[in-house]
Amino acid sequence: MTEQAILFDSSRCSGCKACQVACKTWNSLPSPLEKNSQEWNGSLQCPPDLGSNTRLIITFNEGDNGKKYGVNWAFGRRSCMHCTNAACVNVCPSGCLYHDEYGMVTYDAEKCIGCQYCRSACPFDVPRHKGSDDILGGSVVINKCTGCPDRVAHGRKPACVTTCQPGALDFGDRDDMIAIAEERVALLHKKGFDKARVYGKDEMDGCHVIYVLKYGIEQYELPENPKIMGSVNASSKVMKPLTALGFVAVIAGLAVCYISGIGYHRDTMRYDEKKHDVIDVDTGEVIKHIDKEAGER
Amino acid sequence: MTGHYCDFKNADVILTCGSNNLENHPVSSKWVQRALDKGATWIVVDPRFTRTAAQADIYCPIRSGTDIAFYGGLINYIIENDLWQHEYVLNYTNASYLINPDYNFDVSTGLFSGWDPTTKKYDTTTWGYQTESESTWDTSSTGTYSWVSQEGVPEFTPPTLKTPKKDPTLEDPNCVWQIMKNHYSRYTIDKVCEVCGMDPDTLELVYKTYASTGDPAKSGTILYALGQTQHHYGSENTRIMCMVQLLLGNAGMAGGGVNALRGEPNVQGATDMAMMVYDLPGYLHWPTVASTPTLRAWCEHETYSDGYYTNKPKFMVSFLKEWFGDNATVGNDYGYDWLPKVPKNGDDYTTIGTFELMNKDIMKGYFAWGQNPAASDPNTSFNRRAMAHLDWLVVADWTETATATFWKAPDMDASQINTEVYFLPAALIYEKSGTILNSGRWLQWRQKAVEPVDQAKPDYEMCDLLYRAIADLYRKEGGKCSEQILNTKWDYYVDGKIDPRPVSWALNGYNVEGTDFSKGKVSLLNGFANLKADGSTANGIWIYGGYYNNSDAPLDPAQQPVGRRGHDDPGNLGLYPKWAFSWPANRRIIYNRASADLRGQPWNEDKMLVKWDGSKWVTNDVPDFAANKTNADGTTEPIPPNNKAFFMKWEQNANLMTTGMKDAPLPEFYEPFESPVKNTLNGSQNSPMIKYAENESVKKGDASQYPIVATTYSITEHWQTGAQTRMCPALDEIAPQQFIEMSEELAAEKGIKNNDDVRVFNNRGSVKVKALVTKRIRPFTINGQTVHQIGMIHHWDWTNMFSTGDVVNDLTPNVGDPNSYIPEYKAFLVDVEKA
Repeated sequence: MTEQAILFDSSRCSGCKACQVACKTWNSLPSPLEKNSQEWNGSLQCPPDLGSNTRLIITFNEGDNGKKYGVNWAFGRRSCMHCTNAACVNVCPSGCLYHDEYGMVTYDAEKCIGCQYCRSACPFDVPRHKGSDDILGGSVVINKCTGCPDRVAHGRKPACVTTCQPGALDFGDRDDMIAIAEERVALLHKKGFDKARVYGKDEMDGCHVIYVLKYGIEQYELPENPKIMGSVNASSKVMKPLTALGFVAVIAGLAVCYISGIGYHRDTMRYDEKKHDVIDVDTGEVIKHIDKEAGER
Repeated sequence: MTGHYCDFKNADVILTCGSNNLENHPVSSKWVQRALDKGATWIVVDPRFTRTAAQADIYCPIRSGTDIAFYGGLINYIIENDLWQHEYVLNYTNASYLINPDYNFDVSTGLFSGWDPTTKKYDTTTWGYQTESESTWDTSSTGTYSWVSQEGVPEFTPPTLKTPKKDPTLEDPNCVWQIMKNHYSRYTIDKVCEVCGMDPDTLELVYKTYASTGDPAKSGTILYALGQTQHHYGSENTRIMCMVQLLLGNAGMAGGGVNALRGEPNVQGATDMAMMVYDLPGYLHWPTVASTPTLRAWCEHETYSDGYYTNKPKFMVSFLKEWFGDNATVGNDYGYDWLPKVPKNGDDYTTIGTFELMNKDIMKGYFAWGQNPAASDPNTSFNRRAMAHLDWLVVADWTETATATFWKAPDMDASQINTEVYFLPAALIYEKSGTILNSGRWLQWRQKAVEPVDQAKPDYEMCDLLYRAIADLYRKEGGKCSEQILNTKWDYYVDGKIDPRPVSWALNGYNVEGTDFSKGKVSLLNGFANLKADGSTANGIWIYGGYYNNSDAPLDPAQQPVGRRGHDDPGNLGLYPKWAFSWPANRRIIYNRASADLRGQPWNEDKMLVKWDGSKWVTNDVPDFAANKTNADGTTEPIPPNNKAFFMKWEQNANLMTTGMKDAPLPEFYEPFESPVKNTLNGSQNSPMIKYAENESVKKGDASQYPIVATTYSITEHWQTGAQTRMCPALDEIAPQQFIEMSEELAAEKGIKNNDDVRVFNNRGSVKVKALVTKRIRPFTINGQTVHQIGMIHHWDWTNMFSTGDVVNDLTPNVGDPNSYIPEYKAFLVDVEKA
């Protein structure tokens, strides 16, 4: 099987979020059931971020269009990019995460040990874990987009792609998806969208999710030049052989990683819910202020 | 729609005005994108910068309720700049027809001639044509209308054809063209901007771009929905769009037309089926006490003097034959007298009027079948109080709606309400077989996927149980008007069980001879052209003729046109004539004769729907005109091209000016019932014929108390009152709470921040919602003053398992349109404060 890719063309997306619903429905991911339990965050971006039961969201960002009316309203897609050089696969100590035959990054949940290294390693902050917010201490298991291998194996497209009415999502040979994306970007340039670009073609040695970005990258919550942190590569070199030696070695390896501070950086940051600041726990420094009123997450 | 969804791809310019088609009709996006891929330009005109606007090439804001000013300006621009399609307008419309010299429009009063201040109605005589000559029907055995004299046809005096006087030079001051040109000369670009609130450059760009489709080879389509219709002049909004499309030669073209995007999956079907007081299925008129008390009167009043509606008696008699079966005979006027007649106060029985009747204790029982008036109708708090006067209420629905629990509303005191409420759980669309009819008039068969849950039943099964119980009671106990109930034909059973397939036979139409429903035997008609007025055919709705016409397999929908799944696409225009069935007669694009010039040559070969090749018509679509005629000996021969492109009108030309509307011969701008500004286009603030404005329940508010314009709308995440979608956790999760959209300027003025709780209120009610503060809404400058507008979504009420909220329709005014009786949800006044 040749490498496959999901194509997301933000210039065709209508922001309807049907893909989010299709993803949940196909993958049996629950939504909150308690009456009126959900906070609204002042944006159409709901839920505001990926979560333990949310593998995909559409992002909404209103940028200035320099005109008298309207905005540059960017509809983005936030989910696994299915990298070729995938930090999560590299860092995964248990062999849970791997590339499938189509190039998509999938996982064997049975093998997940709940270490959440994948999340901190991911330059896109994608992997989430079921049970991670469970105070009863249920087992922590990875949950992220798999590319719907159970559909693809039967000749169907991923659930999000099939449901997309405006044709913003497509799925097929990666080369074809890139060709479509590049053609589209050329057209967008012609229409005056100067910042339009393809994203995911070369990033992370090639992603299996290709984006057509209509506006500047800053409107899509995507990193410019995403990279695997040096430490992740280092840790994978430590972890992989150890995994092969078995469980005890993994635990030992994890201890090494923990002590040496490799991998899980996430806990060193704290979010102040009142001030909407992201704070470095060690230094107390405000790393980022999240401007909620401007629709930022 | 005059076209259909796939046809959007053929447009050169798409104008979305009064709809939010990407969000609320997601499938439309697929076809709009295809047009864009081929180089089309997309314009969105909307008070809010919507998700649809985000994708468009041109966005133009507009103050809610000012569409007639916008379109009137477009007409003026088209005429002033000579961008209209001359050959089309001259030949296919009534532009050259001469109007009664007494016609007048008085700008100072805002009234057309014929106004009667006592009845507050128009006498439309002066809006009519001058007559050139008169002719009568030839009903002799060799005449065109020989059928009238045949045995079994009800007696009536055929109408006289009054051929209008015309001036093909369009110079006569009384011709439609001159009257129209003069009428819209007031609608200058500056004037329109002053009323609607956009800037002249943007407006001119919109006008220029859309008017470019006046090029005969080009087509422009208008996609509209409730943003156009839900005004007290909503019907005139629709008509002025038609006028624009006629002037630019877009009606009848592939990629053209006037395209209403219907919301409810089967709302087009519901409209076809006459869910209105004055309608009979298939857009015929229900008998009224005033003008059509007898079958003879109906035939004389309703039958057109020329064009296809000369056949109306055939449709009516066939309808009666289906309604009353063997009990309908020529001797008893086919049972016409058994049909109830709309009384003189018929307007009181429309949706808005109904609640007034309840409030006055006149209407004591109510069926809310698949509708949720306690949350979705205007001025819902009044409606709920009115419903408390009912003796009984029956609600048939999927979920326990606000209507089913109106007595549980936060503002109701259940201990004071004596209404007995019955809830009939209805089967979901997946739990019953039958047809679904989309906005493009496609009838498609759906098979049942799963059995209904618990006691839920398909609607037709509920109807059957009700009918049989009611008929039984009449049989046993008698009662008033029992004949009309007991003489009704009711034999839609297969193996003793009510079934949509025999209903389909009835809707398609059949020969009475050779048909016996009780034996499963039916002689289906090929199409409505086979209908007769002599009682030999029966048909429940003439426009569906042909959708289920295979008598060889009457119980197998898959072998019927409605079940077709062919992918052929002649002309590569997305017509797909072998996919399902499009009424009428499987025509995909209505008025398609107008896609070709007077000689029958397509305006654009690439968009060829019909073409005269010198001896016959070559067609990609089913002709919507008389393409062939049948001789006395049964042979057919082609009819060479002529100017009769709109044969559903008696003139067989489209109407730029009309006597067909109650409130105006030419659409004229009036302000919404509640408006922050004065009407500066004429001397009447509201349409003189606004309905229900005098009712006490309306509680009109004025701009001194409530200066902010509000409009209601849907978001794509939820559906209508949310009764169904708020039951789906995955949908609740993507839109968990009700909000209003407001500009940063208004928010600053009121000290409101994004995500704050706010209270929105007027004389009718008050609701608490969240604020979404955004640059996507900007204040308008109207007549030099700043006017703020907010947008309110309306998907919540007190019911449901997962999310609840206030009822936004507590604020909307229960006033409406005199033609369609639609309420004015889309423009009214409120004030906003931080909660």
